Amino acid sequence: MTSQDNVPLTRAQIRQAKRIKRFDNPWMNPKLIWGAGLLLGIIFLGIIGRFIWDLDLVFTGSSPLKLPPLGFENLRGQSGVIDHPIGTDGGGRDLLALIIVGAPNTLFVGLLASFIGMSIGIFLGFSAGFLGGRTDDVIRVGADVMITIPPLLILVVFQSAFGDVTLTMMALLIAGFVWQSPTRLIRAQVLSMKQSGYVQMAQLSGASTGHIMFREMMPNLVPYLFGSFIASVTTSIVTAVGLEVLGLGPQRIPTLGRTIYEAINAGALIQNLWWWWGIPTLLLAVIFIGLLLINLGLDEVSNPRLRKLS
Amino acid sequence: MTDKPVLTLRDLSIEFPTPTGVVQAVKNLDLTIQKGRRVGFIGESGSGKTTTALAVMQMLAEPGRIAGGTIDLAGIDVLSLTEEEMRQTRLSRIAYIPQGAMNSLNPVMRIEPQMWDGIIAHEGNMDRAELKRRSDEALISVGLPVHTADLYPHELSGGMKQRVCIAMGIILNPDLIIADEPTSALDVVTQRQVMQTLKDIQKKIGSGLILIGHDMGLMAQSVDELAVLKDGELVEHGTVQQILEAPKHPYTKDLISSVPLVGGDSFLNPDRAAAAPARDSKEPLLRFENVRKNYGAVTALHPMSFTLQGDTPQIISIVGQSGSGKSTMGSIMLGFNPPSEGRVLFEGQDIQAMSQGQSLEFRKNVQAVFQDPYACFNPFYRVNHALKFPFKKFGLAESEAHTQRAMEDACAAVGLDPDLVLQRYPHQLSGGQRQRLIVARALMLSPKLLIADEPVSMVDASLRASILANIYDLKDKYGISILYITHDLATAYHVSDYVMVLFKGHVVEAGPPKEVIGAPQHPYTQLLIDSIPWPDLHRSWGDGRQDWDPAKKEAEAAKAGAVYRGDVQGFDLAKAATLG
Repeated sequence: MTSQDNVPLTRAQIRQAKRIKRFDNPWMNPKLIWGAGLLLGIIFLGIIGRFIWDLDLVFTGSSPLKLPPLGFENLRGQSGVIDHPIGTDGGGRDLLALIIVGAPNTLFVGLLASFIGMSIGIFLGFSAGFLGGRTDDVIRVGADVMITIPPLLILVVFQSAFGDVTLTMMALLIAGFVWQSPTRLIRAQVLSMKQSGYVQMAQLSGASTGHIMFREMMPNLVPYLFGSFIASVTTSIVTAVGLEVLGLGPQRIPTLGRTIYEAINAGALIQNLWWWWGIPTLLLAVIFIGLLLINLGLDEVSNPRLRKLS
Repeated sequence: MTDKPVLTLRDLSIEFPTPTGVVQAVKNLDLTIQKGRRVGFIGESGSGKTTTALAVMQMLAEPGRIAGGTIDLAGIDVLSLTEEEMRQTRLSRIAYIPQGAMNSLNPVMRIEPQMWDGIIAHEGNMDRAELKRRSDEALISVGLPVHTADLYPHELSGGMKQRVCIAMGIILNPDLIIADEPTSALDVVTQRQVMQTLKDIQKKIGSGLILIGHDMGLMAQSVDELAVLKDGELVEHGTVQQILEAPKHPYTKDLISSVPLVGGDSFLNPDRAAAAPARDSKEPLLRFENVRKNYGAVTALHPMSFTLQGDTPQIISIVGQSGSGKSTMGSIMLGFNPPSEGRVLFEGQDIQAMSQGQSLEFRKNVQAVFQDPYACFNPFYRVNHALKFPFKKFGLAESEAHTQRAMEDACAAVGLDPDLVLQRYPHQLSGGQRQRLIVARALMLSPKLLIADEPVSMVDASLRASILANIYDLKDKYGISILYITHDLATAYHVSDYVMVLFKGHVVEAGPPKEVIGAPQHPYTQLLIDSIPWPDLHRSWGDGRQDWDPAKKEAEAAKAGAVYRGDVQGFDLAKAATLG
C-alpha cells in the first residue's frame, strides 16, 4: 500500500481528509480543547477580576444585603444595581468578588491535592512495579485497604477536630485519599512495560534503573498520568466542596462550597435568593464539565480505538 | 452452477483515503477461482492480499472502499447485496478462517454453543439434538474428539483452536473458504497437521479455497494455483508448477529463492573469515555449569553444561519447538532470568554475582537481537536513540561526530540508508528495517557474543535471507560469536557451525549441521525436518498420508537417548548419560 495517485479530490473527500488530518494529531481533540478552555476561563476570571474589581467587597457588611443580579428584582422589590452586577448575599458580601476569590481557591485545592496525590502515586507505583516482592505486597495491600475507606467520613472527623483549616491543609488531607488509584494504575503499567522489548534493550545497553524508569518508561506513561491526574482533580474538588458545604472547610477564606453552605444556612432557598446559591453552583458545574471534557479527550488521545472519524 | 467458477474478481480496485491522499491497496485485480481449486495469495505484508479477501466478504475496515470492479460469488454479485443479504451470505457461502485462532474464540463460552451460533443465525432455531449432531460431525471432520465440544478455548492447544475455527467455517458447507495465514502462529509440526486437515476438508466439501500467506514453501505444498501480489497488483498468476519451475516476475523469483533449503545452495558467501577480537582472558567466553531452570513444578531446562571457548568466532544454533526451553536458555545467558540451579560463567565470572563495573563490562560484551522488532524501540524516541545511548554508555563514543559516523557506518553495513532511517520514529519503519537497525546496533557495540533469539521469525519471508546474511556477516567480518536460537532448521543448517536440537528441555541431538540436519538420527529431529514445508513439488508434505503420525514420533523421541554427532573445535557440550 505504498503507491499513491494524485487524483483530484472532490469536495467531500477534501473535507474527509481534513477530518482525518485532525485525527492524525490526537492532541487537536475538540473535547480536550473545550475542556481546557472552560478551566482556563475560570483561572482567567480569577486573574482579571483581581485587577478590575474591588476585592474588599468579600467582607461581611461591605455592601447592601440581598441585592439581586442586574435586571432582576428581589422579594422586597429592590432591583439590581451596576455596583453589584450579580447581586449580594445575606451578609452584605458582593457575589462577584466572592466568585473572583472563591472559584480559583476551589480549583487550587483540587489541583494541589491531586498533585500531591499523583506524586505519591507515581513514587509508590514505580517502587511496587519495579522492586516487586515484599515492597510490592505492602504497597498493593496498603492501596487496596485505603480504597475501601470512605474519605468523607475520615475527613469530617479530622476537619471538625481541627476547627479552622487553611486551604493547603485541606489539600494535604484530601491528598491522603487520592493516591491509591494512580498507584495501582502506574504499577500495572510498569509491570507490563518491564517485559517490553525496549526496556530489555535498555537493560542490555547497561542503563541504570533510574534511566529506565524516567527516560524509557515515563514518557510513554504521560497520557495515563495526565488522565489519572485530571480524574483525581475531579475527586479532590468533589471532596473539598462536600466538606465546605457541610461547613467544615476553611472558615475565613471564601470558596464556592462555603458560599453555598452560607446560602443554605441563611435560608436562601425559601427566600428565593437563587443567585446566592445558584451562581456558585453554576461555576462548579462549569469546572466539572471542563474536567470531564478534558478526561474524555485524554481518553481518546491515549486510546486510539475510541477515536472516530466523525 | 457446478461448472461455474466459485469466485470471479473483475478489475477490482480498493482504496483507502488518508490525509496524504488516496492509497490504492488493490489495483485492477482480475482473478477466477474454480470450484474445488486451492488458490494461494502470496505477498509481503501490505501487498493487499488480506484486503482483497475482506472485500469479498464486504468486511473492509473503515475508511477503505471498493473503487471499481465486480465481485461475483458463484453467480451472486456481492457488491449489490444489502447488508442483511450479505450477512446471510457470510459463513453459509464464504467462510473466513482468521489468522489468530487464539483470539477468535470467545473465552467465556464452551466450544459447542459457539459452533451452534453460526447455524442458528443462518437457519433459525432447531432442536438441540440436530445442532449437536451437526457440530459433532464438523468436529470429527477436522479430526478432533467429540468431547472437545464441552471444553473452553483456554483448555485447547493452539493447533486445536485453529481446527475448531476450521470446523466452524465449514459447518454450513460454504462455496469458498478464505484462510488468512491460518498457521502463522503455530509450530512447524502443528502447521503440517492443520494444513493437512484444511486440505482434506476442502476436498471433501469440494469448495474453493483461498490461502493467504507469505511462506513460499507452505504454499508450494498446499495449493494448486498461486497468485503473487505486490503493492496491490497481481504480478503473476498460474499453477504452482508453472510458477515454481519457471517464475517470470523478478519478485516471484525473489520469493522462491528466499526460502532456504536443507542441503540446497547457501545464500551466504562464507569465504571470508575474521579472527575473533583479541581477548585478555584465558577463561572460556561462556560456560554453563549444570544449569537448570524450573518454573514452578515444570522443568523448562534440564541440567546442561557446555563451554564456548570463543577464540575463533562461531555460530552455535539452538533449535527446537516452542516450549523446548530454547528461549529460556537465551534469557539465562543474558542474565535476565536467574537459573534455578548451576552457574553461568562469562570469562570465569558468575553473571548472577557481578559487581556494577563487571556487569557493565558483561553487558558491553554480550548483546542480543530479539524476536520482535516492533517492540524493541521505545515509541517515544527516534530510532537513533537505541543506537546512540548504549554507544555512549559503554564509553565507546569519542565525540558527537564520532558517534554519528559510527551509526552511519553500521547502518550502511546492514544495507540501510542512514539518512533515511536514523531520524525516523520506530512506527515509520518496517519490521525488516527495524530488525536491521538492531543488528546495526549490535555491530556498533562489537560485543564478543551475540544472542540472536528468533531474529527473523517476525519479518517478511523475502527479507529473512538478507537479514540472516547481515547476522552471518557479524561473525564473518567482525569476529563475533553468535548463539542463534531458532525453530527454523533450514536456516540453522546454513549459518551454524554447531547445532543443538532441544526437546522438552533436553538436548536430543547435537553436532555439525551437515550431519544433524542433513541426516538426522534422532526421531525428534526427523519429525521436525519432515514438518518443514519447502518449495519442492515432489515432496509428499500435506497429501493426507496416514503413516505420518507426529504423536507416535514424539513418544518415540521421549524414549530415545540423545545422539551426539561429532565435535567442533572451541565448543564443548557435556554429554548427558541418559534422558531422565
